[in-house]
Amino acid sequence: MAARWSSENVVVEFRDAQATAMSVDCLGQHAVLSGRRFLLMVSLEAPFEAPRKISRQSKWDVGTVQWNPHKAESHVFAASSNQRVDLYSWRSGGGEVHTSLQGHTRVISDLDWSCFEPEHLVTSSVDTYIYIWDTRDTRKPTVALSAVAGASQVKWNRRNHCLLASSHDGDVRIWDKRKPNTAVEYVAAHLSKIHGLDWHPDNEYILATSSQDNSVRFWDFRQPRKYLNILSCQVPVWKARYTPFSNGLVTVMVPQLRRENSLLLWSSLDLNNPVHAFVGHDDVVLEFQWRPQKEGSKDYQLVTWSRDQTLRIWKVDTQLQKLCANDLVEDLMEGMSLTTESEKILPSPDHESATHISGQLADDILDQDGLLNSTGRHDPSGLPQTLQQEFSLVNLQIRNVNVEMDAVNRSCVVSAVFGTIQVRLVVKFPAHYPNNAAPSFQFVSPTTIPSTMRTKIQKILTDTSLQKVKRNQNCLEPCVRQLVSCLESYMTQEDSGAANPYLLTNPVTPALPAFPRVTNTYGSYQDANIPFPRTSGARFCGTGCLVYFTRPITMHRSVPTTEPTPRSLSALSAYHSGVLTPLKMRTESQSTLRLYGGSPTRTDKDPVSISSFYYKERKPLQSGLRRWSMQIAHDCPKSRRFKTKREGAEYGNRPIKLAGKVIIQEISCLLPVHKALGEAYILNVNDIQDTCQKNAAAALALGRRDVAKVWALASAATSLDLSPDCESDPDTDTPWARHPFGRHLLETLLDHYSKMSDIQTLAMLCSVFRTQGCSQMSDVQTLAMLCSAFRTSGCPQDYFSLYGQHAPGRSTQIPPHHSRYPSYTSSSMTSGSCSSTSDSTTTTTWNVGRDPEHIPPWGESSPDDYRYANQPYTDPREREKELHDMNKKLLDPTNTLQFDDFKKYYGEILHRWGLKEKRAEVLKFISCPPEPHRGIEFGVYCCHCRSQACGTQCAVCKRFTFQCAICHVAVRGSSNFCLSCGHGGHTSHMMEWFRTQDECPTGCGCRCLLQSTF
Amino acid sequence: MVSVINTVDTSHEDMIHDAQMDYYGTRLATCSSDRSVKIFDVKNGGQILVADLRGHEGPVWQVAWAHPMYGNILASCSYDRKVIIWKEENNSWEKMYEYTGHDSSVNSVCWGPYDFGLILACGSSDGAISLLTFSGDQQWEIKKINNAHTIGCNAVSWAPAVVPGSLIDQPSGQKPNYIKRFVSGGCDNLVKLWKEEDGQWKEDQKLEAHSDWVRDVGWAPSIGLPSSTIASCSQDGRVFIWTCDDPSGNTWTAKLLHKFSDVVWHVSWSITGNILAVSGGDNKVTLWKESADGQWACISDINKGQGAVSNEQ
Repeated sequence: MAARWSSENVVVEFRDAQATAMSVDCLGQHAVLSGRRFLLMVSLEAPFEAPRKISRQSKWDVGTVQWNPHKAESHVFAASSNQRVDLYSWRSGGGEVHTSLQGHTRVISDLDWSCFEPEHLVTSSVDTYIYIWDTRDTRKPTVALSAVAGASQVKWNRRNHCLLASSHDGDVRIWDKRKPNTAVEYVAAHLSKIHGLDWHPDNEYILATSSQDNSVRFWDFRQPRKYLNILSCQVPVWKARYTPFSNGLVTVMVPQLRRENSLLLWSSLDLNNPVHAFVGHDDVVLEFQWRPQKEGSKDYQLVTWSRDQTLRIWKVDTQLQKLCANDLVEDLMEGMSLTTESEKILPSPDHESATHISGQLADDILDQDGLLNSTGRHDPSGLPQTLQQEFSLVNLQIRNVNVEMDAVNRSCVVSAVFGTIQVRLVVKFPAHYPNNAAPSFQFVSPTTIPSTMRTKIQKILTDTSLQKVKRNQNCLEPCVRQLVSCLESYMTQEDSGAANPYLLTNPVTPALPAFPRVTNTYGSYQDANIPFPRTSGARFCGTGCLVYFTRPITMHRSVPTTEPTPRSLSALSAYHSGVLTPLKMRTESQSTLRLYGGSPTRTDKDPVSISSFYYKERKPLQSGLRRWSMQIAHDCPKSRRFKTKREGAEYGNRPIKLAGKVIIQEISCLLPVHKALGEAYILNVNDIQDTCQKNAAAALALGRRDVAKVWALASAATSLDLSPDCESDPDTDTPWARHPFGRHLLETLLDHYSKMSDIQTLAMLCSVFRTQGCSQMSDVQTLAMLCSAFRTSGCPQDYFSLYGQHAPGRSTQIPPHHSRYPSYTSSSMTSGSCSSTSDSTTTTTWNVGRDPEHIPPWGESSPDDYRYANQPYTDPREREKELHDMNKKLLDPTNTLQFDDFKKYYGEILHRWGLKEKRAEVLKFISCPPEPHRGIEFGVYCCHCRSQACGTQCAVCKRFTFQCAICHVAVRGSSNFCLSCGHGGHTSHMMEWFRTQDECPTGCGCRCLLQSTF
Repeated sequence: MVSVINTVDTSHEDMIHDAQMDYYGTRLATCSSDRSVKIFDVKNGGQILVADLRGHEGPVWQVAWAHPMYGNILASCSYDRKVIIWKEENNSWEKMYEYTGHDSSVNSVCWGPYDFGLILACGSSDGAISLLTFSGDQQWEIKKINNAHTIGCNAVSWAPAVVPGSLIDQPSGQKPNYIKRFVSGGCDNLVKLWKEEDGQWKEDQKLEAHSDWVRDVGWAPSIGLPSSTIASCSQDGRVFIWTCDDPSGNTWTAKLLHKFSDVVWHVSWSITGNILAVSGGDNKVTLWKESADGQWACISDINKGQGAVSNEQ
């Protein structure tokens, strides 16, 4: 890198020249330096030879000098001197003024030869007129444009022979020479004077302006209100000109006290930091021009003239040019045949000055350039409509593929060479294409792929094209890409030797070798099937949060908003392909990564990023400046004069925000569920009335008046006065649930809150009315039935362990053995080494000693489900009674599972709120059990007869099943035992023993502490 | 009152592609084009960087938190074709598993409901959908649905764990026999429903309404009602709400929520399944709610009045 910033290869001093202007001729042979006393003709081939002189002797400096850019007239140059333009001709080592153009009444500020007509010259003056001269008629200008204001610069458009631009203070006017009375467009470009104006070499709509206001701005004059991009500098910019190679820009600053005299080369793709600084001149750079490329040379030469009276020639090699292009795809394409410089300009979708197509077609397009308002050829949707336009816009820079397009015959020939495979495909476009008319695909010789393969590819291509043309979309590019991926996968097949024809059925997945290529191809055409990344999004999280991220406020899309965001990641290729017009320029992308010269570890292959698609509309001037100064400090480490600028360094290091902030928003007010209510709600089954009233108060306090009313209703509906007597006769009494205010009312309520998705109210109502159903009706009866049904099976108590404790109203009716105590004992018998004093272990006991195939799981014991347990009712009265019991319930028992789901889901929400106890309270009312325990289960076998035991006494041998190893008494309560040796005993005894010992107290030698988890 | 309770400056070096909070809403995971995944503790409005997870070799598209009953687990997917599952052990985040079975960018990851175990669905641009099931002991069982979407799969979303079919027909008392289902969207403009039958994943339904790539799908959480709802959004700017009231799950009807002017690339359901957040290429977030008569209405424009998004005109 260091070598590059002193890349001048010629320095010649012309001490007495006193030249104020310089120009290089179109053949690259001569540079003319114009001073007050004489013009010096420097031979660029031999710059050290003594220059020829043309005597001048004028009291005026030469304002501008310019060679005629046409080869036929290459001996002619124009030099302005006050109000006059002198036309010199230089022949055979001598030169003289052959004519003068006089017409301006005040000093001429600028002149420019037309690059279309060799005789046409435009001059601008402070006298407010812009004259177009035909040098064959020098008496008067052929066209006079009246600008009202004096002009500082005038430049012909390089693509359209009618257009020219002039600058007037901070404004730019675009003229059509056929409409001399008024400018066709005004651009209020800068707040201060514009020093420099330059048209884009390849895009007729784009120009760059440099101004006293410390900026270079890029314009599409069709959108005069907003610049496309801005390059902010610390100092006024004297000139900014496009480079003849792609995407480059050279700037010269207005000299300030600090005497910053270097020229800077920028990539218009990344305006944060210059790509290169041409350092060497000791004084103001007065003029810089590109020397036309020599035949066969890839290097460019920049010729500069400075007030330090030296002329320097700087070499810009391909590597430096590539830095302007700044792209990966170009590297990939290096082997391609069609990347000569002139062909590298890709058209943007917005204009059709396409250069990819050669010869006749390009000429056609150029010929169409007429009046500005004749641009009605643009399709508003941005989609090209005619075949010709598609051809001109198609981006087919694919390695090994060449596409010859012939718009007249409506056909194109795609030739591709992949290793040994050669393919030549003729695509013919029907007249109606692309309006639902697909092109035909035909392989012609010398195609080398087998015919089965041809048929397959043809089918794929036809499918692809049909998909496109169905929507009136163009299909050439997708088809060619499809072809390439087919061939690539075919290649890999061939290589691997595995001739699997089915691989081709998914042709869009090109077989990529390994990861290293991934980074290189990011955003390239291979990503055509990867969706364009999200750069904003919102997600509901937790219970009441909305998390969202958006693009930073300053990041804007570089394409107009009328154009939708591309769908595929491959669209990014347009933003890093180096063949980009400034319309797509970006400024803020990856600037931290691209500190060219500042971080030598950084490879040239900067990663392409999604942020390339967006640009910052207006970067803060302050930070822009500082970054720039930082850059200078980096670029010129040897230059002492920059040392004073380090104070800006810490600002320069500040990263540019490409990532927006992530915002978390509380939106729980929009939700039908409320955490406050979740906390406040109670579920006291002992006193349903009280529960309802308290919950009503809680809802009211939160402002849910509707829910408060529902609770009031619930309170009324659960009133004990309404409940029929448990033992009532079905024949004499209609249950309250059959009343319109009974089940019907409740169902209406549930329906309503279902629609509102108010899961909180739903679950609470279901819970409350479920308890109502349980406690109000036939507890005793159900209990009795259960007891009889499960008497032999061992553990019916478990059901009551859940319900019994919450229904103290009936506790007196429950037989004593249904209290929780027995189950407590049984669990203690079976709980292994874990302490079993808590009732949480009850769940582990369910399967003890039971065969699940014969004994229904405990959930069957729920009264609601009892009906479905296929218990035969021998007595019809019993059946009727059962039906009657069902009818007495306010909650329709057939929907129990749904009600359970309400509770489960509400439980989930409570869990997220961290209200675990409330969750447990609600989940108590679920009829369906949680997932049965599937892990290890502990059973107790009698230590004497080895039969499975249940309880403290073995049913077979009648001895104690489990003796404490310490006290030799049968263990009833809390116990622990070793999983390894099976010995153990009372928890308290075990604790005491193992406080000092680590071996089993029985002396079996087991190191219980190590073996298990005492 | 809708209020901003936290603003997290992620310090990502490039654009963010996803942000998601965990089950309890105490941690935030973000991922970015800078190839990193970051985890922040955002309790009480704070922001503490808990982890900066590096491991992907390309932009990271999406993150997904697993249910906390399996521990603190986060999955991320990337352009580099990898899915990485990260786990917090002893306060440090480590790679738990790296899945490299896709041939192209992995665009979407989604954890199944906890009732199904630890199961992750991954949709990739190679057209396939992978299902990774944790079988314990550091082992992951992998099932792959090849060519799930021709050209590519862009999004996956699991169905809530509800018992299929009529609730009444369900044999009661037993553990409900969940059928695993999820929805996916892809470049074939289709929304597809998938169902596991006898351990094999089968295409159950094909929903056709979009005219361009489907960018995201979201299966609404169930609150216990028998109907199912899915939202899908597309490059064509349309957001459809699909509902199925049919107990057999075969009849889906589409309702157009709205047609946006730019691509819509994300839909997200609120926890109660009655509000949908929609975001897209226009850099805006809108919230939609279904009224009692079944009409969807925009209830808020999150960014309105906050200046978070400036007009791009």
